[in-house]
Amino acid sequence: MNITGTYGRVILGGALLATSVGAAAQQAVTTEDVDQRLRILERKLELEKEAADAKAKDTPSTSLSDKGLSIKKGDNEFKFNALVQFDGRWFTGDTVPTTADTFTFRRIRPTFQGSVGKLVGYRLTPEFAGSSASIVDAYIDLKFSPAATVRAGKVKGPVGLERLQGGGATAFIERGLPTELAPNRELGVQLQGDLLDKTLNYTVGVYNGSRDGEDGGATDNNGRKEVAARVFYEPTPGIGFGVGASHGSKRGATEAPRNYATVDRRTGISYAANTSYDGDATRISPQGYVYTGPFGLLGEYIVSKQELVNGANRGEVSNNAWQVVGSYVLTGEDASYRGVKPKTPFQSGAEGWGALELVARIGELTADDEGVAIGAFAATGVESIQNLGVGVNWYLNSNVRVAVNYNQTAFSNFSGPDREDEKSIFTRLQLQF
Amino acid sequence: MKLKALVAAAALAVPLFAHAASFELLNVSYDPTRELYKDFNDAFAKAYKAKTGDTVTIKQSHGGSGKQARAVVDGLQADVLTLALAGDVDAVANAKLLPADWQKRLPEGSAPYTSTIVFLVRGGNPKKIKDWDDLAKPGVSVITPNPKTSGGAQWNYLAAWEFAKRKYGSEAKAKAFVEKLYKNVPVLDTGARGSTTTFVQRGIGDVFISWENEAFLAKKEFGEDKFEIVVPSLSILAQPTVAVVDKVVDKKKTRAAAEAYLQYLYSDEGQDLAGKHYYRPTGAKAKAKYESQFPKLELFTIDDAFGGWTQAKKDHFSDGGTFDQIYLKN
Repeated sequence: MNITGTYGRVILGGALLATSVGAAAQQAVTTEDVDQRLRILERKLELEKEAADAKAKDTPSTSLSDKGLSIKKGDNEFKFNALVQFDGRWFTGDTVPTTADTFTFRRIRPTFQGSVGKLVGYRLTPEFAGSSASIVDAYIDLKFSPAATVRAGKVKGPVGLERLQGGGATAFIERGLPTELAPNRELGVQLQGDLLDKTLNYTVGVYNGSRDGEDGGATDNNGRKEVAARVFYEPTPGIGFGVGASHGSKRGATEAPRNYATVDRRTGISYAANTSYDGDATRISPQGYVYTGPFGLLGEYIVSKQELVNGANRGEVSNNAWQVVGSYVLTGEDASYRGVKPKTPFQSGAEGWGALELVARIGELTADDEGVAIGAFAATGVESIQNLGVGVNWYLNSNVRVAVNYNQTAFSNFSGPDREDEKSIFTRLQLQF
Repeated sequence: MKLKALVAAAALAVPLFAHAASFELLNVSYDPTRELYKDFNDAFAKAYKAKTGDTVTIKQSHGGSGKQARAVVDGLQADVLTLALAGDVDAVANAKLLPADWQKRLPEGSAPYTSTIVFLVRGGNPKKIKDWDDLAKPGVSVITPNPKTSGGAQWNYLAAWEFAKRKYGSEAKAKAFVEKLYKNVPVLDTGARGSTTTFVQRGIGDVFISWENEAFLAKKEFGEDKFEIVVPSLSILAQPTVAVVDKVVDKKKTRAAAEAYLQYLYSDEGQDLAGKHYYRPTGAKAKAKYESQFPKLELFTIDDAFGGWTQAKKDHFSDGGTFDQIYLKN
């Protein structure tokens, strides 16, 4: 019963009066006495509420929702999230052996992140998919202001647009060809932040440096560092463009360039044996996206120039890749760089089917024929990979996604007959919270 | 010649790099000092700016004095403490945030103003309250805060105790008297300002055991005819004390401003503001100016009656002390 309201006071006053009348034989109780008792009760409730409110400020608040587990007290917060992807991967045609058809866990990534006071943030994401556990993200933030945060640890190199997209939010099961030329995770220190009323995002940092598409190692194996920077302007939410770039020096026989894979994660373009870095390596990637209503379009281009050596031959090899990814949400939800959130989650035996999204992609990765001239690529090797893909994403709710992709990859060789097309059907069940 | 020119140029350039500093101080105070420090902070900031060219901004935190002291011990970054009693500053000193002999650093035992405890009753004094005895009578509803959290409440408690000890002749009888008095307390607020709200705004109780300045303020703000101040035959000399928190000011590099802030409480302007807000000034000039506004009554000191704050806290307000014995029993 709420006794702080007028009606409550009348009711309680009546009750107290009735009690008082009952006790009248023992002691005369005046209306003033009843009024005082009522006021005392109200004040005690008021003080209890004040005490409860004060205590609530000191008590950690725990929330468990579709966004994971959060424990928060003041400026201190701990969050637990996870991303699990279970794939079925099937190849059609004769180019890929049937032994490649498989079920596999693509990602099993719990994430522990949070803040210690206003200044310090952190994130730790291990990876349990694959034959051994590894660390995907591990960094500490010093958040001086929204415009200036220093992040140190293992982070995504700030170059490729789709590489920077969350692993659970990409339109296709596997990222497109430009990601093969962009840096993956690297160890380093970067300054990042939002400027101009959060419309301009920037990152600039220094890293150990990694090979194209590579997840950087635990230490630098050549002592030379790579600088990278990215600016991305998003004047209105959903429409943005920018450029990412990196520059560094790699040298030595221990640093052979990494082969480039197809979107099916199979070898596409291979470097010849005894090829290694021998000088500067530079990447430049203009990029942008448009997400308006249910429609989304993401495009990026990247060129990766590397000074390579093979025996007595030395030269600059400039490989490039591009892609355009389109998406359309049939059920009317907004398309987004961060994924689709269904308006009506799927419910068994009731209305609500979640969100259905169609996706299509075209892209190409081309190796520089200068690489053939210096012996970095075999003369009869693959010169370019062309990918055409279509897919369907079914978002059952904000946590579960089922995806089916069909990809056809064509190859053009430097000389001689082209490698046969690679065709694949990938499926995925994804849980993310 | 070239060297001279360089030196001259450097000397001329020095003023370009010299600039006035800005400081922010946090004054952690007790409940009823809000109005005093609002005026005092403005006055000090102006005086400090005029004297040093530096800008100082003072932020305030108010609450029950004991509770405030615990907050500072727990990490509240107070540059200065202006608490209700020395015992609460001692608690902060015990946490090694300032030296144990902090009271020697400023005049008057670091108590720039004093006060005492009086009774605030409703207009016409319907329950005919005259002295402490009346507060323990059946049917009298008494408002006082919780001595576990409020410095003012500790002064109240000890004043009642000493009155009874003198009148009835023993500690045991004093304890019995105070127990009877607390049976008449229907609500325990955490601080003096909360008790003012209970008595004045919520209309609860017949008598409010109050800081003298708080009683004057209530009369002034809520109507001279609605409340009356009753001066008991005996009360306690309440000495709110002030101290710089060394650990904090050294870390924040605000020592100079913090020390100047507390010293300014002893200045003519600081003392005048204390008197204006019904605190009893210690400076001769302001003391003379405001003498007539304060009632004359017999006052005893905590040192004389209870052997100082350390002993008083141990006997009466520590866990298992006399307050716990009488209040938990009720």
